[in-house]
Amino acid sequence: MSAALELHALDVVFGTRTGVRDINVDVQAGDCLAVLGASGVGKSSLLRTIAGLQAAGGGRVVVNGTNVTMEPPERRGIVYLHQEPVLFPHLTVLDNVAFPLQVRGAPSSRSATTAAAWLERLQVDELAGRMPSSLSGGQRHRVALARALCADPAVLLLDEPLASLDPAVRRDVRMALQVARTTSHAAMLLVTHDLDDALAIATHVMTLLPTGHSEPMAPQALLRSPPTLESARLLGVYAEVEGVVLGDGSSAAFHWLGGAVPAAGAQPGPAIACVRSHEVHVHCGARIHGPELIVLDRHEATHDVVLTVRRAGGETAVVRVGAGVTAAPGDVIQVCILHGRFFAPG
Amino acid sequence: MPLAKFARITLFTALTVFVVTPLALLVLTSVARGWFHPALLPASLDASAWTDLLTDASHRLALRNSLVLGSATAIVATALALPLGRSAAYSTRAIRRTVALLAFTALALPPVALGTGLQLTVLSLGIGGTLGGVFLAHLVPALGYLTLLFLGVFTRWDHRLDEVAATLGASRAERWQRVLLPLLRRPIAESLALGFLVSWAQVALTLLVGGGAVRTLPLDVLAMLQAGQDQRAAAGALALAIPALLVIGAARVGARNTAAVVA
Repeated sequence: MSAALELHALDVVFGTRTGVRDINVDVQAGDCLAVLGASGVGKSSLLRTIAGLQAAGGGRVVVNGTNVTMEPPERRGIVYLHQEPVLFPHLTVLDNVAFPLQVRGAPSSRSATTAAAWLERLQVDELAGRMPSSLSGGQRHRVALARALCADPAVLLLDEPLASLDPAVRRDVRMALQVARTTSHAAMLLVTHDLDDALAIATHVMTLLPTGHSEPMAPQALLRSPPTLESARLLGVYAEVEGVVLGDGSSAAFHWLGGAVPAAGAQPGPAIACVRSHEVHVHCGARIHGPELIVLDRHEATHDVVLTVRRAGGETAVVRVGAGVTAAPGDVIQVCILHGRFFAPG
Repeated sequence: MPLAKFARITLFTALTVFVVTPLALLVLTSVARGWFHPALLPASLDASAWTDLLTDASHRLALRNSLVLGSATAIVATALALPLGRSAAYSTRAIRRTVALLAFTALALPPVALGTGLQLTVLSLGIGGTLGGVFLAHLVPALGYLTLLFLGVFTRWDHRLDEVAATLGASRAERWQRVLLPLLRRPIAESLALGFLVSWAQVALTLLVGGGAVRTLPLDVLAMLQAGQDQRAAAGALALAIPALLVIGAARVGARNTAAVVA
């Protein structure tokens, strides 16, 4: 069975030059693929190209087995949701949501019934008679989403729908997107630079870098094993520790100023270990075997703590440790890395 | 009384006096018989000037010509300026500036200079001294005004509305019908009003391109004034003012329920 959305060797154009090249992705109906990329890498341009709002530099966009690359946006079966919800200001909420059915010539009673059902599913049915100008930010997002789903698209493109929202609205819209994913048959493509959004909504995640994109993976699998150092950096949850891999095969070990860590399969030579906070144990005082480190700086992050440490020899390293670690500047600690991902320096 | 408040009241009073006084004098003069200096009020009142204006065949022809020219100019200039302004607004900055410059040139040129150039063009087309020739001449400044109007509208327009409608399945025609035109009701009403008024008030272009063969209400009023027919000239001038006021009122009513859509 063919995927709902297939991108074959798709090139995305920025102005007069080609930006991201050779994108090959399949998204099945009912799945949500999150595309994680840094600002300016071309995430929005990718979505606009898929939607037909800008021309592709090359390659094909296939929807349910049909090549739609040369089709205008209205004939692709793809709905594009802008980052800021765009509602028609002259139509009521109900008419906004019924719009896609009305343009297809559906009887007005059926359009209204279907639109009302979507408003109810997204818990904004009480807004049906209101004008868009009277809605809050979260309500506008929900209405725009209801309208997109009312179009019964084969593919739903979401352009950073949670960016620049305050935390309460963000939770609200995230829940709406989860409802959308579970109640719609659409293949969803979500671009974001926020890993939490991807983890909350997507079934698969891939990273988009100027050099190319990773294979779509389950979110937890991507967190466990990012394919490249650049992808790992994009996820933003790892501390990078410099060191060297000695040995090879199953006996390879990563040596850093805090000690040695098993690194089976890692390439010998200079390496960077990407380590999450829960993969690090910190011991205050000399209680385990290993080098002693002096804490130079402590920085509180949202979910963990970033420590800058120095060994007696003068080398320094930055480690991300659990929020419960109390080590302060001047303390002597020992750091034990339990697990890491090892990459050759970029 | 604070100086700022005094200045504000003085300016407001001056503005009111400058606008209302001539209109009030026009009304009075149009019905005044035998009103000569230094009499404070006319000797008697009658409506003969208004009767003449409405029954005299030549005045009715002038009035009809003015209405036809105004309506045609408003409709055609709006129909041309809307897509022109839209495409210019979505073009490169250089194109946008060139279109704006051309539109502004049509307005900035002295009417006599513009009229002389247009007269030569119209004569070469063989339509000098015709209603069609005068219509083309009126179209030039009207198109200038309206192109600038729509360029401004579409420069601030939220073009994502069109994209959203397209990805929701609306064809180009449906996007115009269901999204653009309803949202453009206000600028279109303003454009029709402005286009009509530009033509309605034209004197120099009508005179130069029409060559005296095309009579319009402003030309009649001018002729009556030059002939010393103050009462009839005042009635004609009021007749000129009334449709303008009605058009402004209609545009305001048409716009009342329509919000401008800007990004």
